[in-house]
Amino acid sequence: MKKIFKGSISIGQNIFIMTVGIVSVILLVTSLVFLAVFSGIIDDSVETQAREINKQIVMNFEGYINSVIETANYIQFASINLDAERDSAALDRLYKMNTDIKKDVVAIFLFDGDGRRLAGPALDFSIGGSVGGRQWFKSALVLKEIFNFSAKQEKSIAENRDEQVVSVSKAIEFVRNGSVSQGVILIELNNDTLTTLARKTNLGEHGHLLILNDKGDMLYSSEASPATMTAASAPIASHIFLGSRRVSIDHTDMFINVNTLMHTRWLIATVSNINEIKDAMTRLAGILIIVFMISIAVSALVAGAISLRISQPINQLKTAMLKIENGDFSVPVTVSGQREIVTLAHSFNSMVTNVQELMSRLVSQQREKRKMELQVLQNQINPHFLYNTLDSIVWLAEHNRNKDVVTTVVALAHFFRISISKGEIFITVEQEISHVQNYLTMQTIRYVDKFTYSMNVDSAMQQMKVMKLILQPLVENAIYHGIGDEKGHIEIQGSMEADFLVFKVTNTGYGITEKQIQEMYATMKGGHERPSVGIRNVYQRLKLYYGERAEITIVSVPDESTTVALYIPKVTQEEI
Amino acid sequence: MKYRPPRPAGLRAFLFASILTALCATLLSCAQKPPLIGVFVYNESDPFMKTFAEQIVFKSAGTHTTRLFYADNSQLIQNGQIEKMLAEKPALMLINPVDRLGAYAIIHRMQAEKVPVIFFNREPLSEDLALWDKTYYVGAQAAQSGQLQASLVMDLFGGDPERLNGFDRNHDGVIQTIILKGEQGHQDAETRTSEVLHSFENKKFKIEVLALEVANWSSEEAYTKMGRLLGSYQERIELVVSNNDDMALGAISRMRQSGMFQDTNGNGHIDRQDAKWIPVVGIDGLREAEVSIREGFLYGTVKNDSSAMAVSMIELGDVLLGLADKSSLSVPLQNDKYIWIDYRPYVSAE
Repeated sequence: MKKIFKGSISIGQNIFIMTVGIVSVILLVTSLVFLAVFSGIIDDSVETQAREINKQIVMNFEGYINSVIETANYIQFASINLDAERDSAALDRLYKMNTDIKKDVVAIFLFDGDGRRLAGPALDFSIGGSVGGRQWFKSALVLKEIFNFSAKQEKSIAENRDEQVVSVSKAIEFVRNGSVSQGVILIELNNDTLTTLARKTNLGEHGHLLILNDKGDMLYSSEASPATMTAASAPIASHIFLGSRRVSIDHTDMFINVNTLMHTRWLIATVSNINEIKDAMTRLAGILIIVFMISIAVSALVAGAISLRISQPINQLKTAMLKIENGDFSVPVTVSGQREIVTLAHSFNSMVTNVQELMSRLVSQQREKRKMELQVLQNQINPHFLYNTLDSIVWLAEHNRNKDVVTTVVALAHFFRISISKGEIFITVEQEISHVQNYLTMQTIRYVDKFTYSMNVDSAMQQMKVMKLILQPLVENAIYHGIGDEKGHIEIQGSMEADFLVFKVTNTGYGITEKQIQEMYATMKGGHERPSVGIRNVYQRLKLYYGERAEITIVSVPDESTTVALYIPKVTQEEI
Repeated sequence: MKYRPPRPAGLRAFLFASILTALCATLLSCAQKPPLIGVFVYNESDPFMKTFAEQIVFKSAGTHTTRLFYADNSQLIQNGQIEKMLAEKPALMLINPVDRLGAYAIIHRMQAEKVPVIFFNREPLSEDLALWDKTYYVGAQAAQSGQLQASLVMDLFGGDPERLNGFDRNHDGVIQTIILKGEQGHQDAETRTSEVLHSFENKKFKIEVLALEVANWSSEEAYTKMGRLLGSYQERIELVVSNNDDMALGAISRMRQSGMFQDTNGNGHIDRQDAKWIPVVGIDGLREAEVSIREGFLYGTVKNDSSAMAVSMIELGDVLLGLADKSSLSVPLQNDKYIWIDYRPYVSAE
């Protein structure tokens, strides 16, 4: 039994596993797809936002730089017709006026090709006569058409001004003494304006702004010192040059966006904190996991309930079937649940009823059959015996032994009464013994002085029922084999041994050989009929009615006696 | 095992063949797919650049797939457009930068993406072009336009500085001139202006600059500013030199409003012999300018040959894509970096 079911699973388990499995897979796939799509959307929106902030910052800077360039262009344009030598006062006024109207401009100068001041405020004494050695001056003359924004902030060169400034220089042509010469215009910008522009921006926690030059060197960082993030972000930004990249600095997700700043050789890099993406994703994943768990739990419960509903009636049916398998037909199966199962149970019940009916019919048929066989066997005895008896009556009558004829006929009448015994198969031991007695009476008259007999039956047995006509054939056999030249003796004993009623019929005589005994056994068990029809008949009837426990044994002592013993199991009246 | 009907051998062969065919078709279509090219132009409202961009798209149609972007005069916008284009993995980029100083960043980026780039019509710094060998420039030399403009004028005035012809209306041997400058500080404007003046100087033509007005390349601005100038100098003006055609046309329409360019000799056509005709010269060769020249108003222009540039750019692009050989270029490379397209003077047949 175990072996058959090993490795296979029940309907209930099947339903449960399938349902929960399908729900899990669907939920998992849905969650993952949702997570991927949602994270994509968040990513995009945050990156777009970061880009917009970068654009805004660049535009602020561009606006500022444009205003500076416009100032320079305006001065250049307004001074086209001013001679640096002849109109020196007007030129100075123009420069001063433009300085004054822009509050973030510290000073505006005009220098000639040798770096000597032509217009603008007085120079600090530390500068000396010429600015020709300054980097911004040299750069302006190298690339004449562009504005140079100084890389490093330095102190203003104007007298009595101590501010840190950004120097913007450009080569321009000016007129001196009627001829056009090459000069350099310098606009000093208050450093604060640029840093204020940078600081106004919201780039999130640790977000900062970098200004890089065309070589990738960092010129400025808005991060407050210690600028720990800048150390990591600046090298990355300097490799991006243009565009954006997502990086992780110090376990913080940062979005670096680099753009060029118009009219300058500078790059503006914004480093925005986009950790919120990670946070949002973590939260979302958490919610999804909870939803997932709850859904699995709910579906497990539902699946469990469904599988129970389906499998319980089937299990009830199974239990009932097992009972019947063990032979218990008594309890009908009662199953409630699905219609199909109930129908099945009904069908099963009616099938069981049918089987029961069939079985009982079979039993009674068997019993009838046995009875019939038995009667047939019993009927076989009579003609044989009747022939012998009638033969001896004829013989007695021929010899005018009328008294013996009467005795014999009376015994015969008694004998047949018991034989018939109103069709009963079982009679009391007393009747059976009386039957044998009648028989012996007849035989002693026939075989005068040929044998004697004795009977010794336990009186406790007298009223016990026993199959009729079981002793007479044995006695007949004993007479037939025991009567010889000498006068024989036949002894009939009846006793109880444990569960058996034991009848022994012993006759004196030569006895029989072991070989003959074996032949007799073989005859009893259905062999050829020859030597003794009687014993065979008894044997078969005993077996038919009492079953295997009933037995006949034959014991012979040579030149002395032969004993045939019947062992009949004690049975109650009901069992018979 | 379930019974599965055997697939007929013919069917299997058919399936195999059709898959193979599909595969081949895909591969072939990939191979035949025209190269994707990004074209970036600084501003759509610049008519010259608009025509230029359309030339590029037109001349590359069929053989290349082009994506055209206008940056609305903002390098910021153009940077974004370049980013967007790079995501599509282009084979080549043609960029007319808004800000020539920022080109180095674009070049670094292109180098990282291994996308060759041809800049056009606004020249990046030579040090930037030298950053990567797959960087090129196609354009015209601004100086040449000024020189050609000056020579057009000198032809009109008889070619001899000592004996100016009748167009020197006050016969003082000096040409009284108004200069319309594109944009203060603009590289092209500065170069064109200084070159035209230098050319006159070199040929010993005497020029008196009555006024130098900055009109920011715009026809409307030139129109307004010309009104003011006419108020001051109307009778003395003998020449108007404009940094581009648009401003020249704006100036002409203002001058016509104040009574100039009239058919005073009554021949039914505006021509140079009319008393109120003075020479106006532009640069670019716009279609409107050509019309104006044919009608007799505009004296001449110097054609910035966008058609030839477009052809050269596409030819150079094919060389970079490995589709053509360097020797096939109609205008050869200079220093392996530059293709210079000559300006062409354009005046009416008269």
